[in-house]
Amino acid sequence: MKFKGHGLKILMPSLLLLPDNAQAMHISEGILPFNWALFWFIVAAPFMVWGLYELKKRSSTDISFKPLVGLLAAVVFIISCMPIPVPTAGTCSHPCGTGISGILLGPAISILISAVALLIQALFLAHGGLTTWGANIVAMGIMGSIAGFLTFKLLRSLKMNMAVSGFMAGLFADWATYLTTSVELASGIRGDSPFLPLFWKILIAFIPTQLPLGILEGAMTSGMVVLIYKKRPDLLVKMRVLKAEEVRV
Amino acid sequence: MEIFSEYLKRDNFLLAVDARIKLLFALGLLAMVLSYKGFFFPLLTVILSLGLCLWLRVPLRIVFMRFSEPLFIASIIVVLKVFFSGKELLFYLPIPYSKFSLFTLVAHRDGLMEGMQIASRILGAVSIVVVMGFLIPFTEFISALSWMRIPKGFVEILLFTYRYIFVLMEDAMVIYNAQKNRLGYSSIRRGLSSFSDLTASLILRAFEKSEQITSSMIQRGYDGGIPAIRHRPFKATEVLVSLLILTVLGVIWRV
Repeated sequence: MKFKGHGLKILMPSLLLLPDNAQAMHISEGILPFNWALFWFIVAAPFMVWGLYELKKRSSTDISFKPLVGLLAAVVFIISCMPIPVPTAGTCSHPCGTGISGILLGPAISILISAVALLIQALFLAHGGLTTWGANIVAMGIMGSIAGFLTFKLLRSLKMNMAVSGFMAGLFADWATYLTTSVELASGIRGDSPFLPLFWKILIAFIPTQLPLGILEGAMTSGMVVLIYKKRPDLLVKMRVLKAEEVRV
Repeated sequence: MEIFSEYLKRDNFLLAVDARIKLLFALGLLAMVLSYKGFFFPLLTVILSLGLCLWLRVPLRIVFMRFSEPLFIASIIVVLKVFFSGKELLFYLPIPYSKFSLFTLVAHRDGLMEGMQIASRILGAVSIVVVMGFLIPFTEFISALSWMRIPKGFVEILLFTYRYIFVLMEDAMVIYNAQKNRLGYSSIRRGLSSFSDLTASLILRAFEKSEQITSSMIQRGYDGGIPAIRHRPFKATEVLVSLLILTVLGVIWRV
């Protein structure tokens, strides 16, 4: 879109060029008014309780489970800090990593992992925020993890191979996050305007970044799943991603 | 990637203030910024926070880096609100800007005001968290969370994550540099493949390390849970001064 004249001539290029790492996936601190920020915390709370319940259950039988979850949260944090160039938008963006954590540990623990990664990012990188933590957990943690997990399970039950299942899981985890973020943003910033028109506009505004990013995240998740499958299939069996008979010896 | 408490000024007296007080103060201020209708209070918060950053001798580059993403998002929101929200006409913008325009964007004055209000709220809230990041060491933040009755399981995971980010980051850098030297990122396709390998290797290392770490922790008495974090009593002067400043800001917020 070309803008000539007015201040927009200066504004638009700077909008595109200013940030080196545009993280459209996280809702920034302060975007949501107080009531909406609180609402998303309330939505996220039962899922966090679910995650903590699963953590307690699984760590009671496996003492190494908590350190493993902590380490995987560190991996998700590192993954989501790595810039990926998005050619269509001319910026860098970041994968969310919830697809892979959802596949490996299931949605409940993956939600917990995302919450931890999001909190550290909010505090030390100003990515996301404390007041938008609930909203970001809902978008990235809950929707991303559940979408990734269900897609992978569904495709595996339909006898799809690991690469395709991993790709689709990463893709849908990313797009589910982006869709939820659009809902949260539109409801939070609409003011007196109707919800739907603003929602569509935000959704369309995200397309140049998030559409290719979803595909990139899908490709990466696929690559990760396949590599783990080739190198350590026993881990996939241990994490109940695969049944023992599915692993070729 | 510049993260964490590299810019904590150990010699600054504010760092010695109880992290629980700083956290509660920041949360109170955040609630005020979020619930304020207008520009003044959030912008005042930005000015105060930037002043505090300069006083803490945090490099301007780092402050700007922290603000770059929120600034980008704030700008997008202003544009969205100006062109797609409101009723009062500000100006027309034919696209492309010629006689043969395909469509016209209409900017609205009330949309601009709403957008600016959200943008100021974003910058105000971000500035508080940015300062908090420079004033509260992460371990103290975790301790404050445990005092606030955040579930123990969550605090434990947070501790493990914080501890192993640095270990895994080093591993990631070693793998990344090796890949880069072998032209692993010379094209988008190769870059993607290399990045997948890198992240998969990190996940495999996480699995391996979790077993090693657990067995070494068991040898040191780990039984599946961390001991409760002890908290020192609050200092009356710190509480009073914080309450006083918060009250003054609260009065400004009300006016």
